[in-house]
Amino acid sequence: MTASKGRAKGTNRLPLLAQAGPVSLWMILFVTIPMLFIIFISFMTRGTFGGVEYTPSLESYQTMMEVTYFHIIVKSLGVAAETTIACLIVGYPFAYYIARKPPATASRLITLLMIPFWTNSLMRLNAWMLIFQTNGPVNNFMLKTHIVDQPVTFIFTDGLVLLGLITNYLPFAVLPMYSSIEKLQKPILEASADLGAKPSVTLLKVTLPLTFPGIFSAIILTFIPALGTYVITDMLGGGKVLYIGNIIKNQFGTIRNWPLGAAMSVLLLAVTALMIFLYSRFAKVEDMEVV
Amino acid sequence: MKKKLLALIFGLVVMFAFTACGSSDSGDSGDSGDTASKELNVFMWSDYLSDDVVADFENETGIKVNLSYMNDNADSINKLTAGAGDEYDLIMTCDAYMESLIKGGYLEELDLSQIPNSENINKAYWSEENQKYCIPYLMNYIYVVYDTERCPIEITCYNDLIKPEMKGQLGSIDGARNLFPIALIALGYDPNSTEESEIAEAYEWLKKYNDNVVAYGSTETNIVNGTISAMLTYDGNTAEAMASMGDNNTLTVAPFKEDPVQLGFDLYVIPKGAKHMDAAYAFLNYITDPEVMAKNLIDNPYSCPNDAAVAAASEEYRNGPAFDFDYKENIFFQEDVGDAIKIYDKYYQKLKVDTGE
Repeated sequence: MTASKGRAKGTNRLPLLAQAGPVSLWMILFVTIPMLFIIFISFMTRGTFGGVEYTPSLESYQTMMEVTYFHIIVKSLGVAAETTIACLIVGYPFAYYIARKPPATASRLITLLMIPFWTNSLMRLNAWMLIFQTNGPVNNFMLKTHIVDQPVTFIFTDGLVLLGLITNYLPFAVLPMYSSIEKLQKPILEASADLGAKPSVTLLKVTLPLTFPGIFSAIILTFIPALGTYVITDMLGGGKVLYIGNIIKNQFGTIRNWPLGAAMSVLLLAVTALMIFLYSRFAKVEDMEVV
Repeated sequence: MKKKLLALIFGLVVMFAFTACGSSDSGDSGDSGDTASKELNVFMWSDYLSDDVVADFENETGIKVNLSYMNDNADSINKLTAGAGDEYDLIMTCDAYMESLIKGGYLEELDLSQIPNSENINKAYWSEENQKYCIPYLMNYIYVVYDTERCPIEITCYNDLIKPEMKGQLGSIDGARNLFPIALIALGYDPNSTEESEIAEAYEWLKKYNDNVVAYGSTETNIVNGTISAMLTYDGNTAEAMASMGDNNTLTVAPFKEDPVQLGFDLYVIPKGAKHMDAAYAFLNYITDPEVMAKNLIDNPYSCPNDAAVAAASEEYRNGPAFDFDYKENIFFQEDVGDAIKIYDKYYQKLKVDTGE
């Protein structure tokens, strides 16, 4: 919309510059240049005390292909996929439910969904830890009701990491799907029913395809951050359960191998780019349902 | 409307950019003749220096202390090797890196006559070479502590930690140079080995250790809340854990018989080209004052190389159960291993990646 307005004015580029200039400057300074630097570093060598020696090498990429790292990458993709699928399964019916409510109720429900996000995510993670720790309420309840005789170790396990990821990313899945479903016109669903489709057929052949842009946005908005996260996995996993985000963080922290960390970040960038590419094939960018 | 918003955002960005660059230059009067510095920029661990002590120092000297915090020992090494003199006047690092830092010429040589209180520091903890470049601050024993009621076995050596009974019982601090030495000692090697074959063996030992570990980090919290029953940790963390258990304390420092424990130092150095040397000296002299350090020990109950300060410290600190063990002399230090650090990092990385498979 804004772009066509600028073009209509012909030679006068000032409005366009004023509108897109600051954002472009911001993006170039704080996104593009650091990103190019990361790509550059990934082809360099590590220094003894960490840092980077500017000797070109492909070492980092070779290291990344070693079995152990490859394993972590596959495992991380798997967990991100599990998180995404769980968010879709839980989120879609929920989004559908909200979208079918009157607007006032719907906005109240959306607010409820967002309330936990008014607190810092570290607070929420600490709350999880307190609830599930060995002498926490969950274990105490299970001991008292004789469901178990010994406290169960919940924290620092893959299961709790997954639970943490799902609760953290669920709103990002619900919002775009809600916005997609909300736009779905009732007459189309009625037409489907009138033409003899059972509700299940309408869901599969009409509702799901028409809300696909929302679903795909939900996938992108959960899968990509879930793949890159390290705070959730670090806290709930106790520094033992490692995913690609932790490995990257460690390269820039304790392990001090910046080139390898950079190379792994490039890999994440590639995965992200691939997903955006797929999205642009399936749906037009204008349809991207990001609330 | 939109334009206004964009203009506003742009304005904010510009403001932010200018304030961000501006802060480090402000009040920089250190090298202009004989006017004394009015600020001191310190880079160190967080929660490791009493706020009261800093406030007292500021009141007494009129020097404003700007503290920035590191997350990792590597942070201060990165700062020092990149030339930190423009930004900082005092940087905290640990004994393990001193040799490389001195050789690399990253540090200012100290004029101890300007730090008369440094006399209070026990020379046993302060080598002759280091005396020229650093002031030891606090020190940490890295030892094993367990809960006498919940830990399945009595722990008297590092090898006890990898016994199958300890599975799911152990908490641990992290870091290559904290973990590998205990494995090397358990295997009968030099804790500062630079032999790849020995480090590789230590890695195999640590894989078993790792199997027993529930979580790295937050050891003091995890042992109090019952997640773990034994831990490899710092004496200061132990003091905190014991204090929070109060009268019901069931934690005890493992009665080690032969294996030595690591003693590490955190020390202050002045980076080459520091702008407020006079303020740095004033601070170092202040913090080595026995009364001041004794006060600091209340908030930071770590072991202290300042003998006069320990003598002046509270009864509670001196008789703390976290320091109640009889092998304080059976120690080893983390030495600078030079380029072998890459070998350590390689195996440490492998250990971290293999985890949980």
